[in-house]
Amino acid sequence: MLWENIKEAVTSIKSNKMRSLLTMLGIIIGISSVIIITTIGGSIQSTLTATLNSLGGNTVSAYVQARYPETDEEWATWVYPDMKDSDYVSQEMIDGLIAAYPDEVAGVAAQNSLCYGTITDEKNADNYANVNVGGITPEYLNYMKLEMHAGRSLTSEDNQTQKRVCVVADTMAARYFDGKDPIGEQISVVATDGGIYDFVIVGVYEYNQALFGRVDPTVPEKDRSTQMMIPYQTCAKLSGSDQTGYDYFNLLLTPLADVEQATLHIQEYFDEIYANNENFYIYSYNMQSDMGMINTVLNVITVAVSGIAAISLIVGGVGVMNIMLVSITERTREIGVRMALGAKRKIIKLQFVIEAIVLCLIGGIIGILIGVGVGALLGAVAGFIIQNVYAEYSSYIILSVHPSAQAIMLSLFFSMLTGVFFGYYPANKASKLEVIDALRYE
Amino acid sequence: MSEPVIRMENIVKTYYEGKPNELEILHGISLAVNEGEFISIVGESGSGKSTLMNIIGVLDRQTAGTYYLEGYDVNRMTDEVRSAVRNERIGFVFQNFNLLPRANALKNVMIPLMYSEHKRKDQKERAMEMLAMVGMEERADHRPNELSGGQKQRVAIARAMINNPAIILADEPTGALDSKTGHMVMDLFHKLHEEQGKTIVLITHSQELASETQRIVTLLDGEIVSDKGGER
Repeated sequence: MLWENIKEAVTSIKSNKMRSLLTMLGIIIGISSVIIITTIGGSIQSTLTATLNSLGGNTVSAYVQARYPETDEEWATWVYPDMKDSDYVSQEMIDGLIAAYPDEVAGVAAQNSLCYGTITDEKNADNYANVNVGGITPEYLNYMKLEMHAGRSLTSEDNQTQKRVCVVADTMAARYFDGKDPIGEQISVVATDGGIYDFVIVGVYEYNQALFGRVDPTVPEKDRSTQMMIPYQTCAKLSGSDQTGYDYFNLLLTPLADVEQATLHIQEYFDEIYANNENFYIYSYNMQSDMGMINTVLNVITVAVSGIAAISLIVGGVGVMNIMLVSITERTREIGVRMALGAKRKIIKLQFVIEAIVLCLIGGIIGILIGVGVGALLGAVAGFIIQNVYAEYSSYIILSVHPSAQAIMLSLFFSMLTGVFFGYYPANKASKLEVIDALRYE
Repeated sequence: MSEPVIRMENIVKTYYEGKPNELEILHGISLAVNEGEFISIVGESGSGKSTLMNIIGVLDRQTAGTYYLEGYDVNRMTDEVRSAVRNERIGFVFQNFNLLPRANALKNVMIPLMYSEHKRKDQKERAMEMLAMVGMEERADHRPNELSGGQKQRVAIARAMINNPAIILADEPTGALDSKTGHMVMDLFHKLHEEQGKTIVLITHSQELASETQRIVTLLDGEIVSDKGGER
């Protein structure tokens, strides 16, 4: 019976194609809008998550933060306290943290800076390279997702013994050394403030512009600075500060660590150490907690806008109800014949409810197809824009565009519900007809 | 004597009951039709024959009196049972055929099976059998608009017969047909009557058509004025 009803409904809808399509339009627009909006919202979320995770999702950032006064009176006289040596986070503290949570914390990535400077070829003054010299901890390259191109990376030993070694960018090495193997070469950096620093090149990393920010296109490529990395402690010593502790650093986590859990442990660890520090404490955070907030905001926006789009479903539903009422008036005779031939009232009601459901469901499916199609198209456009307009970042953006399966299921459900809700009244009206009146209807 | 298929006692039908324009159409009709009879109900328009037909066909309810169909008091039946009675015990043949325009001949014949409480597996075979009986098996996949009037009425008769009803109720079955096709349809009724012993009630205004039947009941102003045997 049900199958017969569905077939009847399809026949009836097909016999009035144009009218059915126009009736469905409201449903189609409503459902496709919801699908498009949820696809956009979901894709922004998953793209952000995937991209941020690939860039540093598995790290916890931390910095030394001053304790702000709690009352207005204190604020009035408060000045930002100077950082003493003991306020910095020492390598010993980090080592202690790693020892305390060996399953979670793998290392520290921190950087400090020495100078901007130039290295010049003694034999050829036209051959020079601008460099930005900065200290890094051994894990920093790993943290920045920088790959070694040749030679070796900086080690803990380099750091502890404050060796005068460096790694340079492959682009700079290729240009400056012009094909000669740069490993083992001694270079002399003349800093902008006049200082001269000598280093031995131990390694070459693969330069990646996206990680160091946008370049100034007005500066000729030859004059652009590249990062030259030296051990953190070497840098601290050379800059004269003698400060070997960190005030801002990133903790690299083991691949299996739960980021939230690790953040909690790290915070606890430093809270204990800084418990007696009157001026400072350590503030730690991770990108995932930032993402959590972004996701919440995006979810709220998506649901709100989808809700607005869903209003058109109600408009569509009223359209369906209207056309069902027209259809029932037109088919009064048919209803009479069916009743005369033995159709019970509930069967007549079922037939028209099913017709409304089928109408809405077809509209819903068309809407879903359009929504998924437009979503995919938007994804392709976004991909094209990233590839062509933000080319230097393109390799770091993990574009993840996919329609929400949840939204699709929900849309199907709601289009059916619309059919039931708006089809019931006309169907009930049809079933209440008196057989003799319906049969004699002209 | 066995119970008549149709037994009516003092059937009264009043329209607009209790209103100023109250109108009594049938003034106490009593009628009994036995199994296997081919009877015609004749009358001018306005005589109440259509109203009587609607009551016989369980399409309408009488205002007063009792109507027993195969011994059961129709007035005491629920709406659902009345539907089932129309579906299985009465075969309708209408003047304007009343075929569903979107369904082909076979589908039209199968409609009563669809609404029947007694499901059968050989629905299609049964419907084809009925179409063959009226000589329409080759037009099974034709829609009503592809059939002539006579062909439509033959499909309608096949539909009326499909649930093997107790009575065939034909309301001016030749009214929309020319005399030649009209005769063909009448011949079909005679065949059903003679070969299968069907009880047939024919409602018509034509004396000529009525004279072909075994028994002629003449209605005038809502009363039976004569009830006599026909020429056959």
